[in-house]
Amino acid sequence: MIAIPTLTTDRLTLRAPHIDDFDALAAFYASPRASFVGGPLTAELSWRVLAQEAGHWLLRGFGRWVVEHRASGAPIGIVGLWFPAGFPEHELGWDLFEGHEGQGYATEAAHAARSYAYDMLGWTTLISLVADGNDASTRVARRLGARPDGRFTYERFGDMAVWRHPAPSEVAA
Amino acid sequence: MIPTLTTERLTLRAPRMDDFDAHAAFRTSDRARPVGGPDTREGAYDHFAGIAGQWVLRGYGRWLVADRATDAPLGIVGLHHPDNWSEPELAWSLYAAGEGRGIAMEAALAARAHAYDTLGWTTLISYIAPTNTRSMALAKRMGCTSDGPHDHPAIGMVHVMRHPAPPSSWQKYSGGVPASDRDGGSAPKTGKTS
Repeated sequence: MIAIPTLTTDRLTLRAPHIDDFDALAAFYASPRASFVGGPLTAELSWRVLAQEAGHWLLRGFGRWVVEHRASGAPIGIVGLWFPAGFPEHELGWDLFEGHEGQGYATEAAHAARSYAYDMLGWTTLISLVADGNDASTRVARRLGARPDGRFTYERFGDMAVWRHPAPSEVAA
Repeated sequence: MIPTLTTERLTLRAPRMDDFDAHAAFRTSDRARPVGGPDTREGAYDHFAGIAGQWVLRGYGRWLVADRATDAPLGIVGLHHPDNWSEPELAWSLYAAGEGRGIAMEAALAARAHAYDTLGWTTLISYIAPTNTRSMALAKRMGCTSDGPHDHPAIGMVHVMRHPAPPSSWQKYSGGVPASDRDGGSAPKTGKTS
């Protein structure tokens, strides 16, 4: 199988999903915070979600990382590159677990994931899908410089706004 | 990290994205009814990615069973182990293209041999829905005995079929037949429990 790369930012490590992440992921998917991403889910379905996150790397060669807080080692979310069957194009997605919102972690991790897509994978564009009412996520999309670009309906998450990220040339330093 | 197993007619290998159409055709059909289906194509993708991902999480899982000559996908067979299951399961699902040629048994024997000989496991179960008479017949052909009913979290009431333990005659397979059952029983027969 492919080696899942590890990315490091000021405060975060983006690493491969691991079986020890299950409790944190199941707690997230059991909470109302998951209502914008197909939740709440039972523990049984949360297991399948964790396996899907890992399996995406095997099937596609890219995927979403578990975001770990460097200082504490705690898993605080899942961020990365997502392209399941039925998606219109590659998505940059972010889910933050309970208690870790409001500190810029999603933006910091998503920035690293976007740089990986543009610089390492050579992609030229990216979208993010944000459910209506998910104001925190909308703010992250804006902070990343994304602009509204239509709508998309996905079976598991319903109707969502499409946010188009700036092209590699527009985010280059 | 995902080992490849080879049998007389089959390759058991890592699932790949180009197998997905065959998997989706299975999961969206009535054939998937005994195993929690039928599902939508999106749901079939989630299912397929979950099969691949268990290898990352646990280091063992279910293989894509392919025709050894053509590499055409024929089914999914191997060691299935969600979080809330009491023990890993030897599971098999055949696509329509894999039906009726003893392929499930050939693949399942290879997977069981891997669990016992390579992973060192000492027991295995298979969950079989009561309506799935062909799977039940296969479990019996593989030497399974009933452990009784079980209320399965995903597919309801099932039979727990317990596979024979690894020692002796079940340890080595060649061409899908236990060694003691070939060549007039020339292989040692000691230690087989039932």
